[in-house]
Amino acid sequence: MKNKTAKYKYRILSVCSVIAVLFIWELVTDILHLISPMMLPSPAKVLNTLIYKLTGGVNPDGATLLQHIAASMKIALGGYTVGVLVGVPLGIAMAWNRKFEMFAKPLFDVIRPIPALAWIPLMILWLGIGYWSKVGIIFFAAFISATINSYAGIKRTSQVHLWVASTFGASKRQMLFKVAIPTALPMIFTGLRLALGSSWVALVAAELLAATRGLGYMIQVARMLGRPDVIIVGMITIGVIGYLLSTVLEKLQNKYVKGGK
Amino acid sequence: MESAAGNIADVLKCSHISKEFDSFDGTGKNLVLEDIDFSVKDNEFLVLFGPGQCGKTTLLNILAGLESPTKGEVVDHGKKVTAPAPERGVVYQKTALFPWLTVMGNVEFGPKVRGFKKEERKKIADHYIDLVGLKGFEKSYPSQLSGGMRQRVGIARAYSNNPSLMLMDEPFGHLDAQTRYMMEEELQRIWQKEKRAVVFVTNNIEEALFLADRIILMTNCPSKIKKEYIIDLPHPRSYVDPEFLRLRREITENMDKSM
Amino acid sequence: MESKTSRFMRKNMAAFMTIVAFMSLLLVWELVARFTNAGMFLPPASEIISKFVESFTVPIGKHRMLVHIGVSLYRVGVAFIFATIAGIFLGVSMGYSKTVEAIIKPIFEFIRPIPPLAWIPMSILWFGLGDQSKFFIIFLGCFCFITVNTYDGTKNVDHVLLGAARMLGASERQVFFRVVLPSSIPYIFAGLQIAITAGWSAVVGAEMVRSDEGVGWLIVMGMTNGNTVQIMVGMLAIGIVGYILATAMAKLEGRLCIWNQQQGI
Repeated sequence: MKNKTAKYKYRILSVCSVIAVLFIWELVTDILHLISPMMLPSPAKVLNTLIYKLTGGVNPDGATLLQHIAASMKIALGGYTVGVLVGVPLGIAMAWNRKFEMFAKPLFDVIRPIPALAWIPLMILWLGIGYWSKVGIIFFAAFISATINSYAGIKRTSQVHLWVASTFGASKRQMLFKVAIPTALPMIFTGLRLALGSSWVALVAAELLAATRGLGYMIQVARMLGRPDVIIVGMITIGVIGYLLSTVLEKLQNKYVKGGK
Repeated sequence: MESAAGNIADVLKCSHISKEFDSFDGTGKNLVLEDIDFSVKDNEFLVLFGPGQCGKTTLLNILAGLESPTKGEVVDHGKKVTAPAPERGVVYQKTALFPWLTVMGNVEFGPKVRGFKKEERKKIADHYIDLVGLKGFEKSYPSQLSGGMRQRVGIARAYSNNPSLMLMDEPFGHLDAQTRYMMEEELQRIWQKEKRAVVFVTNNIEEALFLADRIILMTNCPSKIKKEYIIDLPHPRSYVDPEFLRLRREITENMDKSM
Repeated sequence: MESKTSRFMRKNMAAFMTIVAFMSLLLVWELVARFTNAGMFLPPASEIISKFVESFTVPIGKHRMLVHIGVSLYRVGVAFIFATIAGIFLGVSMGYSKTVEAIIKPIFEFIRPIPPLAWIPMSILWFGLGDQSKFFIIFLGCFCFITVNTYDGTKNVDHVLLGAARMLGASERQVFFRVVLPSSIPYIFAGLQIAITAGWSAVVGAEMVRSDEGVGWLIVMGMTNGNTVQIMVGMLAIGIVGYILATAMAKLEGRLCIWNQQQGI
């Protein structure tokens, strides 16, 4: 009983805190005019803009919010898919085959510390400012997380399990598919989740620098036009979608990957 | 010290303790301890022996002051127990050593937080590290020690506050059989050298008989006191002594077999 | 169990294969760049390496390479230090006090999924185009990771250890400073490790958007001028420094948390 009332108390405190922040924000902007609307628009204004952009408003950046979201998602998911399709098999292969590891790991280790953002100029120079250059940037963001985690997951396979499998006469191939990959599955999934997160971050950067549509483009244009309300709407949208993407993958992981952490 | 608690020689008096938890589904109550009533005499080695996992650790936590009973009270030297205190040293099942401190750091933790000067607490710690046979390992971290050695540190740490009562919660439960026998002998040796009242929880009858002055046999779920045995075999005891074996059979037959 | 000789062989084999890997990569790269049409986009590896070496003596833009690196490191360093202080403080308070947790967590959780670079437009409005705006972005990039990890660490303190400390006579204050804090240190370090990498990435991003010096500027200027060699030289520098930062952090953790080498019980 005591626990339950305590829980309620904290829940209420949380709600109050959010309301207080919104109230203070409204107070210093619309009501007291302490902060210029060019620096920080009021929450009411942001909400207005959000509704306007959601219900088909195209000003000031030439597209509705949903069109920007669609453009961003198309790029993010494209780059992510390619990155994962290359990264996961590469990680597994590097961890499973010694000779391949000795050859490929050092090369991978050279690419690994280069942030995905640092590929932007090269990609733009090579592929222009269209769809594929951004897919290329996001590819690197997703590819690195996917590879590292798959690699580490396979490396975690317990020697004892492999011994058990081999005493039952499992072939090398069966050991990979029946022992090593199942062992690695939770970590591979973690890799997929991290990869999606970094893809989304890289996407924003790529669109800030070179785009004609998309959420990153939207906030960049809004800055140049002096529309902070649109910037904040864009930031919130970016945050919410990023959060949703990681939550969906987490749910999938909890549902389909049993055992291990 | 005469008190409501009764007998002068009593260190700790545990009167009519019951403990309930909310059951996991939140609909009802689980009774884990029912009307536990006993006292611990000065310098007595008391073993709480019983099957299963139910209640014994909870009882020890209540004696230590880490948990409070639903009914009844614990009185230590005439004072009601409400919180953990240095007068009651605890040796934990999983050692609960501070992994970021060395052996020395762990053993001098008690005196340190109680404000002893550097030389004083070093002297105390040196003494107990020596007592438990860990001289030379002062600078090792717990992760570098074997299970038996970690438990020695745990014992030295509990001693470091010079408590009048030691509470030991299946301290050797995680050790392999060989180490366990050795640690039982070691604990007996240490205790003979620096006697304290001890409440020792175990589910191993040999361990109970090897160490105890008195055994309290407990039932399982809810835990109740079933019977008491005074064990006055001379130390060091032998696992194959006829009297030892007779007591072993007797207690085992009285044991609550339902798990 | 393998014999000493085969182990020796294997070790050398790995080194040998590494050399083979690099040699073949550089060779293929060199050949492709010199003798095919791809040379238009891909300068030869030798040119990049020699330009990289040269960049330490011949300035690119305003500065020589080390100064560019220094500028970027300075930006990361300042923001990282502030983020560490703020993140540990906030993480510990949220982990230790349920009231603080209830007040801060919903707001923090709302801000956390917004990538630091998405703050660039806002921070330019607030702080202008100078260093302040970059500090702010890098700070955000580091801060969230440090806070989350510290918070997890404080939340995950073993309750038996808390009981043990109280049993030994520690006051609540002592329990906090002598048990809660030290047992969170591995978590905090994990956070710092991620944060330094994220911070380095954020400085590159921030400098790419607006700057006239630093490693991010190097590559974005390369892009503007169509100078692929400069871009790749910059990327090489970014990769090397990023690697050094991550390694240094791991070394520091190893130094400060010797006790955590194996799983302690």
